[in-house]
Amino acid sequence: MDNTTSGKAAEALRLASVHKIYGSGDRRVTALDGVSFSLPPGTFTAVMGPSGSGKSTLLHCAAGLDQPTEGTVYVDGTEMTGGSETARTKFRRQRIGFIFQQFNLLPTLTVLQNVTLPLKLAGRRVDRQHVVDMLDRVGLDRRHDHLPAELSGGQQQRVAIARALATNPKVIFADEPTGALDSRSARDVLALLQEAVHLFSQTVVMVTHDPVAASYADSVLFLADGRIVGRLVSPTAEAVAERMTRLGDEAAERRSNDEAAEQRLTEGV
Amino acid sequence: MFGLALRSLRLRTGSFAAAFLAIFLGATMVMSFASMLDTGMAQGVPAVSAEILTIMASVVGGWGSLLVVFAVASTLTLSVRQRAAEMALLRCVGATPAQVGWMIVGEAAILAAAGALLAIAPAMLAGRVLLRTLIDTGQVAPGVIYAFGPVALGMGLGITFASALAAAALAARRTARMRATESLVAASTDRAKLGRIRIVAALLCLAGGVNLGVLTMTVMHGRGYEAMATAGYASILFAVGLALLGPALIRRVAAILAGPLERFAGISGYLAAQSIRQRTRQMAAALMPIILFTGAATGVLYMQSIENAATAAAGLEKDEFEKAIETLNLVVMGMVALFLCIMLINTLVAATTYRSREFGQQRLAGATPGQVLGMVGLEGVVVAATGVLFGTIAALVTVLPYSFSRTDALVPDATIAVYLSTIAVAFAVTLAASVGTARRTLRRPAVEVVADS
Repeated sequence: MDNTTSGKAAEALRLASVHKIYGSGDRRVTALDGVSFSLPPGTFTAVMGPSGSGKSTLLHCAAGLDQPTEGTVYVDGTEMTGGSETARTKFRRQRIGFIFQQFNLLPTLTVLQNVTLPLKLAGRRVDRQHVVDMLDRVGLDRRHDHLPAELSGGQQQRVAIARALATNPKVIFADEPTGALDSRSARDVLALLQEAVHLFSQTVVMVTHDPVAASYADSVLFLADGRIVGRLVSPTAEAVAERMTRLGDEAAERRSNDEAAEQRLTEGV
Repeated sequence: MFGLALRSLRLRTGSFAAAFLAIFLGATMVMSFASMLDTGMAQGVPAVSAEILTIMASVVGGWGSLLVVFAVASTLTLSVRQRAAEMALLRCVGATPAQVGWMIVGEAAILAAAGALLAIAPAMLAGRVLLRTLIDTGQVAPGVIYAFGPVALGMGLGITFASALAAAALAARRTARMRATESLVAASTDRAKLGRIRIVAALLCLAGGVNLGVLTMTVMHGRGYEAMATAGYASILFAVGLALLGPALIRRVAAILAGPLERFAGISGYLAAQSIRQRTRQMAAALMPIILFTGAATGVLYMQSIENAATAAAGLEKDEFEKAIETLNLVVMGMVALFLCIMLINTLVAATTYRSREFGQQRLAGATPGQVLGMVGLEGVVVAATGVLFGTIAALVTVLPYSFSRTDALVPDATIAVYLSTIAVAFAVTLAASVGTARRTLRRPAVEVVADS
C-alpha cells in the first residue's frame, strides 16, 4: 500500500474525481461520474439521492469495499490504493468503521466478542474497560453474553455501533443504518451516531433515503446520476424531503432530455 | 405442498446436491453388489461360485447398506437444517407444521427416486466389473453370466427410499415441533441436542460392537479366518455408534480444545474456537464420515494383515476361500472408503458454502482472507483429529480381538504405515474440501456476498 500522507490531515475523508463504471461496451453503466468532496473530522454527513443515483457505490468506494475505476480516495490524509484483498482489508480496519442495514454481526459470537472482534483481527490490544464503556454508552451494559439472535433489531444495531466505535476509526460509514428498524429504535440509533460525532469528534458518513434520518446529520450531500448535485447544511426533514422530490423530478427530466439528444444524434442532426 | 417441494428442488439445486449424490452413490454401491445375488441365483452356476457371490453380496449388503442409510440420512438432515430459515419463513406465512413436513418428505422422495433410478445403469456397469474381477482372480467360474434382477433393484430402491424417507420424516418432525418465531431464532444459532432415539441407537451400536469383539475373542477364538465374520462388523458397528454420538463428542472436544485454541493459535484460533463451540451440529455432520472412514478402513485393513501374517506364520498357503475373502475385504474397503470420502467432501463443501455469508461478515469486520482461511483450516484440523481419534477407538474393537483370536496376542505385529496413511487421507480430504471451498467463496467482494445471502 502506497501511503501518501500529507501531514496531519485536516480532512477525515476526501474523494478526488472518483469514477466508477460497471460493465463495458453497450452495457456500460456509469455509477459514479466524477465525485469530489472533502469532509472535516468531527462531522456527520448524510448522503442522499433517488434510487439508482449511486449512493451505495459511493459508500463502497469511499469505504474501500469496492475500487473506483478512476480517481482517488484519501482517508485521514492517506491515499487508499488498490492492491490485494489483504492489503485493502488492513487499510480498512485501521481507519474505517462500518454500520450496515442488516447489522452483520457474527451469529456465533456474543455481544462482547462481536465488539472486540475488529481489534483482535487487527492484532490490537483489547482495552476491556474501553469496550465495556462503549457497550454501556449504547445501552447494552447487561447484554454482554447474549448472542445477536437473542437481541432485537435495535439492540443489534447498537452492538454494531459499539463495534464500529471500539477501534476509534477515522471515519465511520453507515449504510442505511435505520433501514431495518422501527422508528423508535431508529431514533435511538441516530442519536447515538450524533453523540459519537459531537461528544467524541467521530466522523460519520451515512447513506440513507429517509429525510428524517438525514436531518440528524450536520449536512446532507445530494447525489443524482452519479454526481454531487447539492449540499444542505443544518438540514431539516422538511427541507430534505422537498429537495429530494425536486431531485427526482430533475433526474427524470434530464434523462428524457438525454434521450432526446441521443435521438437527434442518431438522426444525424 | 408437492408443488412447493418440486419448486424448491428446482430453485435450490445446490443445497440438495449433497443429498442427491449420497443417494446416487449409495444406490449404485448397493445395487452393484446386490446384483451378485441375482447372478449367483441363475441356473447352472457352480455351487462354489454361487456361494462366493452370495458372501460378496450379503457382506456388502450389510456394511454398505448401513453406510448408505447413514450417509443419506446425514446429508438430507443437513440440507433441511441449512434451510431452517426458509422453513421458518414458510411457517410464518401460514404453513402448518404438517405442510412443511410434507414438503420435506416430498423433496426426499423425489431425490430418492431420481437418485436410485439414475444409479441403475452405473450399478450394472460396476456389477459387471466386479464379476469380471472375481472371475479373473479365479474365485468364480469363468462361465458365470452377469445378471441384474429383482434382488438388485429391490435392495437398491428399498434401502435408498427407506433411509431417505425415514431421515426426512425425522427432520420434518423436528422442524414441525418448533414454533414459528422460535424457529427463526433457532435458524441463526445452532447448538445440537441429541434426541432420545439417537442416544438409544448409539448405545445399541456400541454394545453390539463390543459384543462382536468379545465373541471374536471367545467363541471364534482359534477358528481361523471365520472370526472375520464377527470381528469385521465390530468396528463398523462401534464406529456407527460413535458417529451417532457425534454432536456430544464434538461438544466435549470443543470444551477441551477451545481454550488452548483461543489462547495460542492467534486470531484464527480464536474464531475457530467460537465456531466449534457454536456449530457442533455442522461439525458433527463432518465428523461422522471421518469416524466411519478411519474405523472401517483401519479395522478391515489390519484384520486382513493380521490374517496374512498368521497364515504365513503357520507356513500355509491361502486356499480359494481365503483368497476370495481377501479380495472381498479389499474391494469392499476400497468402495466404502471412496464412498465415505465423497460423503465427507460433500458434507464439507455444503457446510462451508453455507457459511459464505459468515465469512463475508468477518471480512467486513476486518478479517483478511488469510485469517478466514486460517480459521477454516484450524476447524478442519479439529474435526479431522476428533474423527481420527474416535475412528481409531472403533478400529481397536476389531483389531485387538482379531489379533487375539488369531495369534493370542492383543497387539498385532503389523506395520503402522497403513494406519498413518489412513489418517493422512482423512486429514488431507477434510482440509482440501473445507479450505478449498472457503477460498472459492472469498473470491467475491465481501459486501456482495453478505448482501445476497
